[in-house]
Amino acid sequence: MSSNFAFRGYTRRVARAVVDAMVPRWPEFEADLTDDVLEQVEDFTRNYPPFVRFGVVAMLYGLEFSGPLVLDGLKPTSMLDREAAIARLEKVADHPIPQIRMMVMLPKIMVSFSAYSRPEVETFLGAPRRAWRANRKAFRDRLVQIDARRGADPATPEPLVDAGVRPEDYLRFEPTPA
Amino acid sequence: MATLHDGIVQPHQTRGDLRIDCDVVVVGSGAGGATTAATLAEAGLRVVVLEEGAAYTTAEYSADIPEMLGKLMRGGGSTVMMGRSPVPYLEGRCVGGTTVVNGGMCWRTPEHVLDAWVTERRLGHLSAQRLEPYFELVEQVIDARFQDPGSEGGVNDRFKAGADALGWKLSRNRRNQRHCVGSNDCVTGCPSGAKRSTAETWLPRFYAAGGRLFTHMKVERVLTQRGRATGVAGTLLDPYAKRRFRIEARAVVLSCGAIQTPLLLQKNRLGKPCGHVGRHFTIHPNIKMAARFDTPVDSMRGTHQAWQCVEFKETDGILLAPGAIPLAFMSAVFPSFGPRLAERMRDYRYIATGGILVDDHAEGYVKSVLGLPIIHYDVTDADQAKFVRAAALMAELYFAAGANEVYTPFHHLPIIESPDAIAKLYAHPPRVQDTEYFTAHLMGTCRMSSHPKAGVVDPNGEMWDVAGLYVADAGTMPGTIGVNPQVTIMALARVIAERLADRLGRKVPRAAGEAVTAAA
Repeated sequence: MSSNFAFRGYTRRVARAVVDAMVPRWPEFEADLTDDVLEQVEDFTRNYPPFVRFGVVAMLYGLEFSGPLVLDGLKPTSMLDREAAIARLEKVADHPIPQIRMMVMLPKIMVSFSAYSRPEVETFLGAPRRAWRANRKAFRDRLVQIDARRGADPATPEPLVDAGVRPEDYLRFEPTPA
Repeated sequence: MATLHDGIVQPHQTRGDLRIDCDVVVVGSGAGGATTAATLAEAGLRVVVLEEGAAYTTAEYSADIPEMLGKLMRGGGSTVMMGRSPVPYLEGRCVGGTTVVNGGMCWRTPEHVLDAWVTERRLGHLSAQRLEPYFELVEQVIDARFQDPGSEGGVNDRFKAGADALGWKLSRNRRNQRHCVGSNDCVTGCPSGAKRSTAETWLPRFYAAGGRLFTHMKVERVLTQRGRATGVAGTLLDPYAKRRFRIEARAVVLSCGAIQTPLLLQKNRLGKPCGHVGRHFTIHPNIKMAARFDTPVDSMRGTHQAWQCVEFKETDGILLAPGAIPLAFMSAVFPSFGPRLAERMRDYRYIATGGILVDDHAEGYVKSVLGLPIIHYDVTDADQAKFVRAAALMAELYFAAGANEVYTPFHHLPIIESPDAIAKLYAHPPRVQDTEYFTAHLMGTCRMSSHPKAGVVDPNGEMWDVAGLYVADAGTMPGTIGVNPQVTIMALARVIAERLADRLGRKVPRAAGEAVTAAA
């Protein structure tokens, strides 16, 4: 059951700084994902049980004030520029004490799941998953129709060569260029 | 657009508080619950299934991963157990339970495990010979079969090439699927309809036999009277109104999984005398590995797992396997983020992923403290030593397949650049707290025993200290099994359901061609 949870006020500023440091960027990829990913991280958090939501916010604040832990000054992370924020979070992620590293773990997973499941990122990296899924659905429907015509559904499948489906055709996919 | 089966009742189809009388109420619709419910309904009993999550058709499994995690998984996928290293775990919360989001591997319980259950636990009815027909039936019902030729894909092909090059023994996976076409999106609900989760197999049988499944039903109380279970009660998760339900039954079956069942029992202060509820928690901890190749792997295309390397299974309790996962999940395999991760993921098309599973010897626990679930599990140092050896073997396999870099889940050695560098793993073995684990195999918290002091349920699946209250899920396993558990869960649930039907004066009918003989 989702709640009406939202990052508000200073918490939103902190969450945005962490997301901004963690989203992927490539020179050839123009879109800035920060705001969209922040929204998705907020959605994720909204779906979590209350004690996990509390944990997410606690971790964000832990990262916000992590400067002294990694000998990086007292300035809150949200007041650093992006490069400095990335450097600080990397120091946290590389910290020798596992409990300190854990502060990065959940925010990193939420940001990664959100960013790398976006259609434009999938296509950019060569995994147009939505098109592939549609292609698979259509291909399987064809196989099921072949089965129906053959009146057989063997437990150990054989190549459907007689029906025009060769093993080498199975995963064939030529996506439309973006 | 496909619609939900008539046997499914959603909150908007009923009004006000619900009161239902039936013969058996089953809580949960995953591997254990669906098998139990179908078996009992086909025996002519009036059975109601209560599922906390929602029901979805194949068309509703969308490509939006955050959305699907929220819809299909407990806690929106945020579930983590604590220990020296936190272990994220996966638990389905939808009609079909975890069978909707698992990888679909179908392995029978290994014979040496069943032998131990018979000799050490004195559970003679779980011998390999006695369970044989149950495994056969389960495999028939859920369509456990090999992949269609050509559907395996690059991740599986590279893994096989490496194992073949080293002469290591491979075992071809059977999965519950019909014409899996390699969508590689198992974990958010099979988008092509190929996977045969319980929502596609046992539950349609249950509906056909007259059973009804209610969604959005959060069971909070197990009703008892003079030491006997008489039903369950709880809250209907209706977003528009506060509603309650009460189901009265001759028998109650809890099939909420190895975490939720003990939590429910503890919340109701049931099973306390035996002292075993929530204990003996085993998880088959696993670690993820990845490797970069010079030529495209294209892990998007192909099935999640077509092979397992069993070369070290008997001798060392180590299982190596490929594991194709969607891009977003692959991004979580690597410990970095931001620019470092972006650079790594640029090579996505060239990366193959795999997993390592070890037979664990640790036991964790599940308990409820002030209403909060506390799930605890620590990988032992002995099991960690196995992981280190297994990671070295996996790296060897990937290099033999032509990889030019191998990625580990170890904090201090995230990349192995060459075969010669594998030795670094042994020179400075990573500690438990420097390792990232994952699991989807949760077992053993309500274990079956032949003596009231040794477990939570008796050989019939009935709780030793509460008559009429049964457990039929992975929690009843008397110990770790070392393989993917869904077939074991279903076989045990079938045994329990047949014995329950017998007690309630019914016999389970045998359909023509079905393999099962009567339960002894």
